[in-house]
Amino acid sequence: MKTLKDMLAEARQVVPEEGPDDLSRRLKDREPIVVIDVRDPDEYRDGHIEGAASISRGFLEFRIGTAVSDPSVPIVLYCQTGLRSVLAAKALKELGYQTVINLKGGFQKWAQSGLPVVKDTPLTTEQIGRYSRHFLLNQIGETGQRKLLRSKVLLIGAGGLGSPTALYLAAAGVGTIGLMDGDVVDITNLQRQVLHTTADIGKPKVESGARTLKALNPDIAVIPLPVRIDVDNVMDIIKDYDLIVDGSDNFDTRYLVNDACYLAGKTNIHGSIFQFEGMATVFAPGEGPCYRCLYPTPPPPGLVPS
Amino acid sequence: MQATETMKVLLGVGEPLIGRLLTYDALGMRFREVKLRRDPKCPLCGTSPTIKDLSIHAAGGTACAISPNGDGEPATSGAVPAARPGG
Repeated sequence: MKTLKDMLAEARQVVPEEGPDDLSRRLKDREPIVVIDVRDPDEYRDGHIEGAASISRGFLEFRIGTAVSDPSVPIVLYCQTGLRSVLAAKALKELGYQTVINLKGGFQKWAQSGLPVVKDTPLTTEQIGRYSRHFLLNQIGETGQRKLLRSKVLLIGAGGLGSPTALYLAAAGVGTIGLMDGDVVDITNLQRQVLHTTADIGKPKVESGARTLKALNPDIAVIPLPVRIDVDNVMDIIKDYDLIVDGSDNFDTRYLVNDACYLAGKTNIHGSIFQFEGMATVFAPGEGPCYRCLYPTPPPPGLVPS
Repeated sequence: MQATETMKVLLGVGEPLIGRLLTYDALGMRFREVKLRRDPKCPLCGTSPTIKDLSIHAAGGTACAISPNGDGEPATSGAVPAARPGG
């Protein structure tokens, strides 16, 4: 009869192992890998690696097909100490998954190495109802929703572009929304800036904006920033956010936001509009061009109305 | 559109508009996509950047009016539409 030791030794012959630092680097580099936590659901809830799917060992062969449809996609498995997962990895190899890696030392070693750990608090009944349509989407699900709830997004400008973006992000449950705008609501804004109402005329845009967003979704935090973004405050403000949405209405701000986001390594979701035409792109430092690659110099003053 | 892109980047799903510019013409109801490339001569993210901090913005008012890179042409495969002033 085989002993557990024999089985582990056999598994290790076919399953490569990597330490926490290797996995951390792969995740940082956004390699197309799937990380699966094969521990029991209560262990997963108590703390896991961000982005890891939870499929406990007992269900692995049943559910792996849904989680990973392409057998050539590399899979990293982990459990608490790396033993259950090495056996699980061998089972996946036998199913035909080409690259299955075991996290050496498991979650325990990951956490001891000081790498980030995500803890799930149970969703409230209200949250389960509110985000139920997201749970039906494979690309979001409960894991994705938790990610959104943990996310912090800064909206620069609560005007024509910022308004609809803010409404959708708040509704979708982006947990923290920083709303930045130094202006007050003017009657001429109301025809397009749907965050604000007639009663808000004369009030700071971030005040009416925050109230509208909280009314739409009380589950999120809205941080009103009633100031204009400038060279002195930009770095300090953006550092607290995962991602920046530029909905500003002038070129100076766009170049400033572009430069600050690039220097701080923050992705900038860019949009602009004029009359009936709009454009959108994403500036991701290190992954693609920036605003200066696109428009090396601003248009001469007077050429475009502001 | 910006909200959808934000969610995609936060979730790490789909293909965000990185390196692509999507333009929308409401009157003609047409979308157009222009491929964008990194400009190696870009003063910010190019191979030998001259902008290493935000000091060029400190002058006030003319923050974005820095000297153009090389010939001043945007690094794209097609014609880039004129910049849009509004927000």
